[in-house]
Amino acid sequence: MELVSVNDLTKTYSKHAVVDHVSFDLQPGKCVALLGPNGAGKTTTLRMLAGFIQPTSGSISFNEDTLSKDFRKFVGYLPQYPSFYPWMSGEEFLHYAGQLAGLTKKEASDRSNELLQLVHLTESGKKRIGKYSGGMKQRLGIAQALIHEPKLIMLDEPVSSLDPIGRREVLNLIRELKKDATVLFSTHILNDAEEVSEEILLMNDGKLIEQGPISEIRGMQQTVTIRLAFEKEPKFIHEKLKEIDSVYQVTEENGTFDVSVHDLNAARDTIFSRVQEEGWELSLFEITSGTLEDIFMKAVNK
Amino acid sequence: MQWTVILKKELTENWRNFKWLWVPIVFILISIMDLISTYYMPIIIESAGGLPEGTVIDIPMPSPSEAMLMSFSQLNMIGVLILTVMSMGTISGEIKSGVYELILAKPVKYTNYVTGKFFSYWLLMMVSLLLGLLASWYYTNLLFGELALSQMFVAALFYACWLTLVIAIVILYNTWFKSPGLIAFLSIITVIILTVMTNIFGHVLGWSPAKITEYISIYLHTGDLDIEIWFSAIVTLLLSLACILFAIVSLRNRAID
Repeated sequence: MELVSVNDLTKTYSKHAVVDHVSFDLQPGKCVALLGPNGAGKTTTLRMLAGFIQPTSGSISFNEDTLSKDFRKFVGYLPQYPSFYPWMSGEEFLHYAGQLAGLTKKEASDRSNELLQLVHLTESGKKRIGKYSGGMKQRLGIAQALIHEPKLIMLDEPVSSLDPIGRREVLNLIRELKKDATVLFSTHILNDAEEVSEEILLMNDGKLIEQGPISEIRGMQQTVTIRLAFEKEPKFIHEKLKEIDSVYQVTEENGTFDVSVHDLNAARDTIFSRVQEEGWELSLFEITSGTLEDIFMKAVNK
Repeated sequence: MQWTVILKKELTENWRNFKWLWVPIVFILISIMDLISTYYMPIIIESAGGLPEGTVIDIPMPSPSEAMLMSFSQLNMIGVLILTVMSMGTISGEIKSGVYELILAKPVKYTNYVTGKFFSYWLLMMVSLLLGLLASWYYTNLLFGELALSQMFVAALFYACWLTLVIAIVILYNTWFKSPGLIAFLSIITVIILTVMTNIFGHVLGWSPAKITEYISIYLHTGDLDIEIWFSAIVTLLLSLACILFAIVSLRNRAID
């Protein structure tokens, strides 16, 4: 049973469709990455799912929610640039957010302490947010999104403004989060998506152009590129590679060959048997295609 | 309850940014300024000198009700300005800074959000107004003669209706525009237009909110509450309610960018 189903979701601003007939389901306990270039409609999609902008048409339904239309209580949301009340302390803000979400005073304060610990802000909990660094604000932003134990956690570009250490921390945190909830996060950094998520949704120009488990999407690729380099370049190697069945293109750059093939297994077997037969001094064999980067570039440029 | 949580947060915010300190102080100052300067005017003129020898300075002392009215007319100008300035960024500022997005992502009812904010500023206004008028009443009794405390309170309550409308207008503009400066400007323009229209078409606009000050002056002189002041007050409160409801609807339909 899916947690959320999104059907034909559309949002138009002055006749321009920012999100254009997008449909997908989110399964519980999965981590899903929403990918796409800037301006693809990721943030608008997340905001509609967070329940505070209304779709022009289409529907969002939570299986939890059969009665009320307000599903914000199931959702924790972190905007791309979270901003707080600078005069509050981190602890006070969590407390406030918790009570807004319907927790009692006691629950809110227990949960605040728990979350401050989770995001390593216990020591700065009593400090005014005005004095926090960018990374601390981001972590406080995650904590406030989790305060009411939402079923769906949505993070809008959670790592793009962070330094490598902060980025690592947040990715580890996401890995923790998906134990208890569904995580949907948008990013344009493909490595991050690959690292923590099982599924991707790929958006461009308001449309959903690719969706599914990463492995499946990789498998759908029609062509694969094998990257080869040699310690000592064999003679006529360029021609020899080209003669192999199912190879349709060979390009060379600084002694590295990119061999595009239709059938990976056949090409790989042939290359390895040649390596043995002809004694090619192979120094690099890498299957480069099928990374998200390729899928992304291809889908976006389609 | 969510509404109390929001109200409490607003009160804390205005406490920490000293609004609960400076607004009452300024209201007290503008309420008594004219009284004191009128009372001491002969002495001020004398000590400033410059008048020819033998000039007789004879400024008639105002009656107690006239003295109180001086406070009301000061409040009508500077008081309105201060109310506008203190509340001009209450919603627009949160939208602008982005914290609104975080608040809105929680199951917050627009009604609670708008009315919680409105009520926190209304409380601040009421406390400031009552303190200001109490100070004015004290000096009136001290310097110009006796005026019943109850009469001052009744006048204050009717006048509070007018200031309630001012805050409601500012809150409404807060949901339409992002720039606090623009909001303050438009609110003041609205109040001025309302006052000018009432002055020009006073004979048909007897129920206009801007008429309340005029009726208060009659009340302070005669001690009788005419039916018109009740009309005016009810229209004012209904208009305030309309502004708040409109603000809630506007905020709900507002696109976030």
